Amino acid sequence: MSQTVMSELEKEAQSVRQRILEMCVNAGEGRIASAFSCTEILVALFYGGILRFDVNNLQWEGRDRFVMSKSPGVVGLYPILSDLGFFPDIELEKYCQPDGRLGPYGDNIPGIEAVWGSLGHGLGAGAGLALAAKLDQREYMTVVLLGDGECYEGSVWEAAMFAGHHELNNLVAIIDRNWICTIDFTENCLRLEPLANKWREFGWHVITIDGHSFDEIFTAFKDFRNGESGKPLMVIANTVKGKGVSSLENNPMGHIIIPTAEQLDRARGELRT
Amino acid sequence: MRDAFLDKLYDIAREDRRVILISNDFGAPSLDKFRADLASQFVHIGIAEQNMVDVATGLALAGKIVYMYSIGPFLPLRCYEQLRVHLGFKGFHITGVMVGAGYSYDLSGPSHHALEDIAVMNALPNMTILNASDSIMGAALARMTYENKGPKYVRFDREVFPSIYKEQNDDFSDGLTVLKDGYDLSIIATGIMVHQAFKVVEELSRHSIDAGIIDLYRIKPLNGELLLNAVKQTKCIVTIEENFLGGGIGSIIASLIADSGESIRLKRLGIPDYYFSQGGGREVLHRLCGLDVASITENILKWFKGK
Repeated sequence: MSQTVMSELEKEAQSVRQRILEMCVNAGEGRIASAFSCTEILVALFYGGILRFDVNNLQWEGRDRFVMSKSPGVVGLYPILSDLGFFPDIELEKYCQPDGRLGPYGDNIPGIEAVWGSLGHGLGAGAGLALAAKLDQREYMTVVLLGDGECYEGSVWEAAMFAGHHELNNLVAIIDRNWICTIDFTENCLRLEPLANKWREFGWHVITIDGHSFDEIFTAFKDFRNGESGKPLMVIANTVKGKGVSSLENNPMGHIIIPTAEQLDRARGELRT
Repeated sequence: MRDAFLDKLYDIAREDRRVILISNDFGAPSLDKFRADLASQFVHIGIAEQNMVDVATGLALAGKIVYMYSIGPFLPLRCYEQLRVHLGFKGFHITGVMVGAGYSYDLSGPSHHALEDIAVMNALPNMTILNASDSIMGAALARMTYENKGPKYVRFDREVFPSIYKEQNDDFSDGLTVLKDGYDLSIIATGIMVHQAFKVVEELSRHSIDAGIIDLYRIKPLNGELLLNAVKQTKCIVTIEENFLGGGIGSIIASLIADSGESIRLKRLGIPDYYFSQGGGREVLHRLCGLDVASITENILKWFKGK
């Protein structure tokens, strides 16, 4: 991937953050910090050619299945999906409105195979999709984005064990490892570390990356379709919750913050640079 | 009953490769055949009910017709939130099959008694709840759940019940059957208590009370119109169920009557708000909670004569 393309994607990520901020400030609703930590990941998946899809044929059988298990982050995907043409731009203005189809946790979003609102479902559902692909000898990949706090849910580990056992090498899980849950740092709440080891022991191939580096994201996904490993792939993406806005970055109480007044002015300024 | 169901499901699954059966480490003789002959359509999910429903959802998203087979009450209780979101809210064509209705697993203790599941499943929109009363029905439910889209919850008792229905009359689209007409009162029962009702009716007749029997096998959606029509002669109902009274068929029918504005007397018999854990078997438990034939009869007599 060329430097030019990387720079374009970086600019795109910044633009996406601006649009996420304005959308959430307008509605007074949405998990900005949670969306900001996975912005590069989502930009890479949808703009970077990692995921296969056809905006003119949303039900195209060959599409990859993207599952947004980390539902609070779904607002981060809305500007991307509208820009690509999955739904009209006007929906961003209608976010949280009675006549809109976009809410803070998401339901029935074109471009997303499934998103629920509650946590812990996506990996199991993704495993089901991946299993169906194997049964039907289909080539699509299933990609699931999870939060790290989400890994407290036991259902995530039930799914991890299932995918590992069934060697679902057509399944990729990405953890947005932003080291913060809702009211504390993850390692203060319940230690997730050593997280990579845990997934390895469950039978997954694990790659750990800087989740804000497009170079590292693309490298992690370089061979994800070839199925050589015989294992499902876990990409642990180390990220900064609230990345791009200093008042949110690494703020353990930042999960629910929507900046206002001076904080908002400062945030807008920081995202412009 | 569950073997009759699984045998029919096997036939259906042979014809339609979209049918997938998931088990939470729970077996049956008829399941062995499924596993042997249709291995690619069987998923052993292990003792992991939440994952069972999540994986079922993923399979359903990919166009599969999914059956989840579980020992009760772990389906629905262990994975209720998954059922809420995937079945109640999103309405996937997934059928949960629970074996162990009521006190089926009598000796196993309260942890294995399915007493709340009717109440909690009734709380979910989109849900169809079916409680089989014989093997003919059990077999028919396989095709019914396959052909009709949407979430289903099917309860099976462990006991082998005498046949009530005939194979040629296996249209169960009404949701309830008047098995016997009655002049004085209508007993509405479900599952094992339908069979108990026959014995109770005989006892009541010795006291010159002519009671009818209605088998309420589709608890949700309730065929309220048919039910109210079936009791318009007696306007006097006794409900009998081997599960908690709270939220059970008695409560559901009470709501129906209240909403209808009709003047119908109702006596609800079922398990009181307590987990009986005494050993000795189902009949011991029935005596403890008043669901043995003698207690039911006595309760009805007291109530009926008291009016």
